[in-house]
Amino acid sequence: MADTMGHSATATRNTKVALGFCLLAIAPQIFELIWSIGTIFGWGTGRGPAAVVTGHATALLAGAPSAIFGSFGGGTKKMSSEVLLALIYSYPLFAVAILTLFMTIRSAQDYVGGVVLMAVALFALWASSDLQGMRGFSFGAGTAPRMFGGLLVALSAGIALTGLLTNGPAMAHYSWRGPLFVVAAILFFALSIRSLGLVVTAFSSFMIAATGSHETRWLEAVIVGACLTVGCAILFPYVLGLPMPMYPRFLNQ
Amino acid sequence: MTFIRALTGACAAALASLGALVAPAEAQTYPTRSITMIVPFAAGGPTDVVARIVTSHMAQTLGQSIIIENVVGAGGTTATTRAARAANDGYTLITGHMGTHAASVPLYPKLAYHPEKDFEPIALLAGTPILILARKDFPPKDLNEFVTYVKANAEKVNAAHAGVGSVSHVSCELLHSILDIKPVGVPFNGTGPAMNALVAGQVDYMCDQIVNAVPQINAGTIKAYAIATPERNPSLPNVPTTAEAGLPKFQAQAWNAIFAPKGTSPAIVASLNAAAVKALDDETVRKRLLELGSVIPRPAERTSESLATLVKGEIAKWTPVLKPAT
Amino acid sequence: MDIFANLAHGFAVAFSPINLLMCLIGALVGTLVGVLPGIGTIATVAMLLPITFGLPPVGALIMLAGIYYGAQYGGSTTSILVNIPGEATSVVTAIDGHQMAKQGRAGPALAIAAIGSFFAGCVATVLIAILGAPLTKLALAFGPAEYFSLMVLGLIFAVVLAKGSVLKAIAMIVFGLLLSMVGSDIETGASRMAFNIPELADGLGFATVAMGVFGFAEIIRNLDHGAEMNRDLVQQKITGLMPTRKDLADSTPPILRGTVLGSILGILPGGGAVIASFAAYTLEKKLAKNPSRFGRGAIEGVAGPESANNAAAQTSFIPLLTLGIPPNAVMALMVGAMTIHGIVPGPQVMQKQPDLVWGMIASMWIGNLMLIIINLPLVGIWVRLLRVPYRLMFPSIVIFCAIGIYSVNNAPVDVILAGVFGLVGYWLIKHDFEPAPLLLGMVLGPLMEENLRRALLISRGDWSVFLTRPLSAVLLAVAAGLLVLTVLPTLRAKRDEVFTESEN
Repeated sequence: MADTMGHSATATRNTKVALGFCLLAIAPQIFELIWSIGTIFGWGTGRGPAAVVTGHATALLAGAPSAIFGSFGGGTKKMSSEVLLALIYSYPLFAVAILTLFMTIRSAQDYVGGVVLMAVALFALWASSDLQGMRGFSFGAGTAPRMFGGLLVALSAGIALTGLLTNGPAMAHYSWRGPLFVVAAILFFALSIRSLGLVVTAFSSFMIAATGSHETRWLEAVIVGACLTVGCAILFPYVLGLPMPMYPRFLNQ
Repeated sequence: MTFIRALTGACAAALASLGALVAPAEAQTYPTRSITMIVPFAAGGPTDVVARIVTSHMAQTLGQSIIIENVVGAGGTTATTRAARAANDGYTLITGHMGTHAASVPLYPKLAYHPEKDFEPIALLAGTPILILARKDFPPKDLNEFVTYVKANAEKVNAAHAGVGSVSHVSCELLHSILDIKPVGVPFNGTGPAMNALVAGQVDYMCDQIVNAVPQINAGTIKAYAIATPERNPSLPNVPTTAEAGLPKFQAQAWNAIFAPKGTSPAIVASLNAAAVKALDDETVRKRLLELGSVIPRPAERTSESLATLVKGEIAKWTPVLKPAT
Repeated sequence: MDIFANLAHGFAVAFSPINLLMCLIGALVGTLVGVLPGIGTIATVAMLLPITFGLPPVGALIMLAGIYYGAQYGGSTTSILVNIPGEATSVVTAIDGHQMAKQGRAGPALAIAAIGSFFAGCVATVLIAILGAPLTKLALAFGPAEYFSLMVLGLIFAVVLAKGSVLKAIAMIVFGLLLSMVGSDIETGASRMAFNIPELADGLGFATVAMGVFGFAEIIRNLDHGAEMNRDLVQQKITGLMPTRKDLADSTPPILRGTVLGSILGILPGGGAVIASFAAYTLEKKLAKNPSRFGRGAIEGVAGPESANNAAAQTSFIPLLTLGIPPNAVMALMVGAMTIHGIVPGPQVMQKQPDLVWGMIASMWIGNLMLIIINLPLVGIWVRLLRVPYRLMFPSIVIFCAIGIYSVNNAPVDVILAGVFGLVGYWLIKHDFEPAPLLLGMVLGPLMEENLRRALLISRGDWSVFLTRPLSAVLLAVAAGLLVLTVLPTLRAKRDEVFTESEN
């Protein structure tokens, strides 16, 4: 009340948080869009990007609202998975995002943590929505996932509420360099182990991962990386007999 | 660690020299390098054991080693999909069974392969008889009483099985369709836990392969009503066949057979078939298969054509039984 | 049956040169497999199984058994040193063991883990020899209803082992349960939440998630700015290698209790062994005068669970040796090894194959002795590893983890998933969620759901079975009591707890 400065600061931060939640609310749709770009180049199967955009846009803007009103009218026609995604996942998160604007967040760590966990739970509810439910006394495939999904929604709401009611730590600081390069190293390993073989893959991944720390001394890293690669090349395929290619595929032919 | 290495090395060397000794001097071109045999189940399982016994002899005949690769997952269909997509040069084979090459068709509507369209049948290796087993204090004394009892108490009895798509599951579905009942099926994670529940008396009965059941039956921890083959089995001489006991319609075997990807050349198919047939005639191979309770196919059943017929017949047999169940 | 004559016969078998060699190989490979992150016992035993076909059956089984319990010794090493549990049973060891390592006490932690495992292994072996047959009844008394109640109890243990907020711990367990539901449904075979990804058809692997939320997340976190100072401090702080007299005195009761708990729970096929280490940790935390030390490097938190998991690893052989029924995937592979040799184990395996059974029991004792002889000197080497600069250490761990995960199924997708879970784990750390309850939820989830469904199928939907069956009712009562004991004080002490948390 007295310190208006602090208040306005919270207000701007709340807007940011709310915007973040909005982005989270359409994250699966964005992910499918990015994934669908691959179909242009003929990777994988699925719908093209245009179909994905129109499908989700209609579901978000028209399909879901009409489904809500339709249910009042007693309409029980089967809804498409896009409409269900909008209904089960996106709309509740939009609602949370709007509510966030009017809240005083006392512990951003708990509040954001709770809401994101809730998003995971809602997503699981959507993912298991097509599964069969109870049949008489016997559980269906979808009973347990929905049960635990619902429970997690409640628990994460509780955590978010704690973030509003009790004082606690603010958001922790995230750094980008470590996660980026470590994940890049893992991705590179996964994508190239089959075609490039253990020797090339292990050494390259080592160097990519080493880039993740500003303490890295390059010469030293190259030497250790090379030794490690040799060690792995002896240990895994020979001593343990793991079936994995050693050298790039094009060298074998 | 070097022990292991030395050991593997020694084994491989021994095998190779053995292979070189036994290999016929025919100027056959086909196996010029080692052959990969995919087994769609874990090492040590019934299919794996049959595959290893037979392929170790086939390797001697072919003069090249056969490397077993166990690929597990999704009731064996993961491995079978991989085999269907492999190069059809005769260097990737699969030891399929009743589940992967017949029952999977009605069980998995989204199956990525078709047993007939995507594979060249090579040879039938062995049949594993299926038994009707029950907990030791289950009231019925013989198969006729069992049929009456289960029909009368279809609402009360519990049938155990080792998971959807397992041999015990599909064979019990066949039994139920013959008896025209739908008792509760209690799923377990594999044969071990299901057998444990049967021994402990938590479930009433199950249909299972002979391998793991023999010692339990001999020890009296469970009882067997009948064996679903035309003839009695030497390892269980006192257990009547289903025909003798009054349910001739219930005939089921978990068979294992070798398949190659579609389009493998007839010459390769023929030489692989010949090697498999030769293995089935070998005394040690026969002895070890019989110890497992397996039924060795008769000469007429060993051709690749008869395997094609078997697969066709089995798909036709299981489809009506399993379709409504899923 | 004359136990002593049988044991003497067993030792005569086990002391033959070839069997001693097999036992040593098993122990060495087991230690190696346990130490290497990601490479699990099931995968290793499956890979080595073909080699055993050329060996005499007794030697083959002695070697495979050695790998199995040897991995229990090795598994604690990576948990303590780099916070990567390789097996479900060493998740708990990571909690306090890694904290000890951060305080420069990796040596005592590793040594106590080895000593506890050795003691528990010896006691459990004797137990198998003397009480194997009668204890089998316990394994048979556990039906689906009892297992469900045991799993509920196990999940309550997971709440207790959390050091922070109870609400967050429960949320993490439920998150783990949800993750465990990915894959095929046991009753209908329907694919659940797998998004048509073939690699997800059989669910998320334990190793994948564990490497992600523990291993990769820890690395990413350590690369944060400001984390360097803490790491350097650790390297300077390393003190003695061996436990002090006080450490030994503190650890003795937990080792004894852990051995008893582990021996009993290990007999239960299907999940008993997993719960053993969690149960031991919970017991120690509840009995401790100052429970807040747990999660911050309490040696009891290493000694109890490590003894329990090794005891359980030994007694889990009981159903195999007395009933001929393999209680877990590794044992199923061993049955496969026997089948190849024409031995199908059954209830009479003890009478029909005395060489095999008693030779194996005797070899377990010898194997444990070998393992402690191998592992105690290794402590020095492992601790020296901690002095390697982190800038070289972390890319190496990344590579080892990636190879390990890849080797489980030869599936690149598993490696990518582990990377994703690494980011999830980093996020969890930033929001002060603990990964251990998540992993427990994931391990126990399928066991709980499947047994619940089995129990309800058998009882025709009557939920009262969980209360009318005495064993199940007792387990549920213990679970309820434990929950009340855990929730009440934390509700009261929440503020103090938050205060101490921020101190670290």
